[in-house]
Amino acid sequence: MVLLENDLFLSELTKLFQKARMKGSVLMTFKRYDGRDKPIPREGRPPLPEPQEHMCLIRAKLKTIKIATVVHQKDINKFQVAYSNLLKGRVMLCL
Amino acid sequence: MTFYKSFEEFEKAAEALYLQSPSKVRYTVKYTHSKNVMVMKITDNVICCQFKTEIAQDVKKMDKFINNLMRHMVSKEH
Repeated sequence: MVLLENDLFLSELTKLFQKARMKGSVLMTFKRYDGRDKPIPREGRPPLPEPQEHMCLIRAKLKTIKIATVVHQKDINKFQVAYSNLLKGRVMLCL
Repeated sequence: MTFYKSFEEFEKAAEALYLQSPSKVRYTVKYTHSKNVMVMKITDNVICCQFKTEIAQDVKKMDKFINNLMRHMVSKEH
């Protein structure tokens, strides 16, 4: 799993789509992410601090190539426009 | 685990599921170019909703839905 910057993720995703043209499928996963990188403590232990900010974790996979990115709230507009364009260009023309 | 018949039905179920447990839900899209098929799935590891499409019209709707979902995910509520 490679965690990438938003722009780099999109360009890598484009490459994945190109590679999957003949064979294979691209898998994308969207999930809410609050920045937690530790397990939740057992009962009786001090709880983790409340999450500061909600983010969106996006993963993409083609066979064994795995990439991921975290989109922050301030970047969401930019990312959405770029992602929509990518989807329209890659997928919609082909269906 | 059955596929929904229309995107609208899927969207409704997916929204309800997301609002029920926003931190657990994941949304997956699988695109197979050689078969021209797109499968979307949303699950919280208990309930799972799926939808499969081969037409561009539904991809447009899905794009809108993802945009909405991403906005929800980064918003401060819940």
